[in-house]
Amino acid sequence: MSVYITSSGHFLPGPAINNDQMEPLLGLVHGKPSRLKRRILQSNGIQTRHYAIDAQHNTTISNAGMAAKAAEHCLTQSFLGKRQIKMLSAATSQGDIVLPGFGSMLQAELGLSDIELHSSHGICSSSMMALKAAFTNLKAGEQPNALVVASELTSRLFKASRYEAAGSTLDFNAEFLRWMLSDGAGALLLETQARGQCFRIDWIRSFSHADAYPVCMSVGYPTESDHSKSWQDYASYAEAEAAGALLIRQDVRLLENIVKLGVDGYLRLISEGRIQPDKIDHVLCHYSSHYFRGKIFDMLQRAGVGIAEPKWYSNLYTRGNTGCASIFIMLDEFRRTQHYKTGDTIICMVPESGRFNNAYMQLTVVDA
Amino acid sequence: MTEHVLSPQGQQCLQALMRVWFEFERQLGRVPLLQRLDRGQFSKADYCQLLLNWRQQVIEGSRWISRCASSFDRDYSDVRSVIIGHAREEHRDYEMLERDYVAAGGNLTDIQQAPRNIGTEALHGFLMYRASQPNPVDLIGAMWIIEGLGQKMANDWAAQIDQTTAGDGSYTRFMRYHGANDDDHMQKLYQLIDRLCQSPAQLTAIVRTARVTARLYCLQLEEVDHE
Repeated sequence: MSVYITSSGHFLPGPAINNDQMEPLLGLVHGKPSRLKRRILQSNGIQTRHYAIDAQHNTTISNAGMAAKAAEHCLTQSFLGKRQIKMLSAATSQGDIVLPGFGSMLQAELGLSDIELHSSHGICSSSMMALKAAFTNLKAGEQPNALVVASELTSRLFKASRYEAAGSTLDFNAEFLRWMLSDGAGALLLETQARGQCFRIDWIRSFSHADAYPVCMSVGYPTESDHSKSWQDYASYAEAEAAGALLIRQDVRLLENIVKLGVDGYLRLISEGRIQPDKIDHVLCHYSSHYFRGKIFDMLQRAGVGIAEPKWYSNLYTRGNTGCASIFIMLDEFRRTQHYKTGDTIICMVPESGRFNNAYMQLTVVDA
Repeated sequence: MTEHVLSPQGQQCLQALMRVWFEFERQLGRVPLLQRLDRGQFSKADYCQLLLNWRQQVIEGSRWISRCASSFDRDYSDVRSVIIGHAREEHRDYEMLERDYVAAGGNLTDIQQAPRNIGTEALHGFLMYRASQPNPVDLIGAMWIIEGLGQKMANDWAAQIDQTTAGDGSYTRFMRYHGANDDDHMQKLYQLIDRLCQSPAQLTAIVRTARVTARLYCLQLEEVDHE
């Protein structure tokens, strides 16, 4: 049984916000402009992004609301109506509420009836895990179709008031993601029948390395080094916030491992015969190609498995890094705007820094 | 760097060696001593203990590499030249390590009299055994791991150790020194891979020796805590 991506959709809230508009919107922490902003933006290369909060820090649309918009965008271009959808597989780093699962909230928002439900929790790779759950469900013949939706509303964490509540000091690791992440949602429709020119999912694989590396991106510990207490262990949530346990942090020192592990998984899949480097026509990677430069990149070239620059596609620079939604938003825009032909091979890669889970997928362009 | 394009066999070997290296880094990530270093729970005494254990292997390192050079016959005289050069460059590195040990507060006689730990015994025994075989091409796999470690020490560990022990770099010279001439060393390694990996059997042997070296190296580091 083959599984196809027969439609896709996205939702990006509000207008595109450029680099100069970011800080007025997110707010000055203690009334002072950030000293790290320029450096971080320079290194990530992002030019514009979207936020589901306004300058007064009202939330303009909920996370489930964005997910529903992306799903509806996807469905309007499909051959299926809502009533025909059999499965919903949803991913986010943080839903609007802690419980129940994001999938339940999204199902209600979308008005899907009697579906099989799956919620995937994690960071950037959670969308790929949600996709794999749907993919295998269809492969096993359990369902004929599934809607897979990934959505992120991280800007709520980046409001100046959040940092102020956590005290006076703002270290690099706590500020890093403020200039990196933004909001948005993406959706894919999976079916066991092809429709027109669409993408067949050849395989999805992931390799997780949490046992070998410390936490790299997190919310819930007061500092990178102090893991003795999680946000739920404080007497009150106010105390947890004051201790900085609700800030989103990236241990930037560990980031380099993402590239290594990304390459490691790629080489594994080559040796398993799943990836044939000379057959790759397009690469969609959650991280932009310039992260893969340097020594390892040079090594890949020498090892004869490098991927030529023109084959890389990304819309991170204009749509922002929307965490787990990124890869779907990227695939959706690729589908709509890029040139590809029947028979082309597409590799998608999502290296997640949370605690190092790397997901890969191969698609083939087919014609029904 | 575009100068040197590897042969298809060499390319496959490089792919496999990269994977062995990444696996090795994950193994290192599970070594308790290094996990403590990562978390910043690492004292100067831990560092001295690490150097004390390490020295014995560094001394033996110069021996296996010299032995390796002498085991290559006339058909490999070009390889022999490269390896002799390498052995000559590094065979007294342990003296720098000893100076670091003393600078970090250790006693010179302690480090000079310390026995090899269990992991070092195994690693040394394995490398000397391999180096004694005629034309030990597989040892390029060991060199790959040890060169990579040198770069890891210089690029990661030295700074982490100085940071967590409030050092000023005066007792991490041995580690930092290994970051010098990285590109030059990599270039030599690539050339050796191309020269020495010319058949599937050689590829298998190189990768196997790299994996054994990596595993035994980890064992040596795990044993630092057991002394």
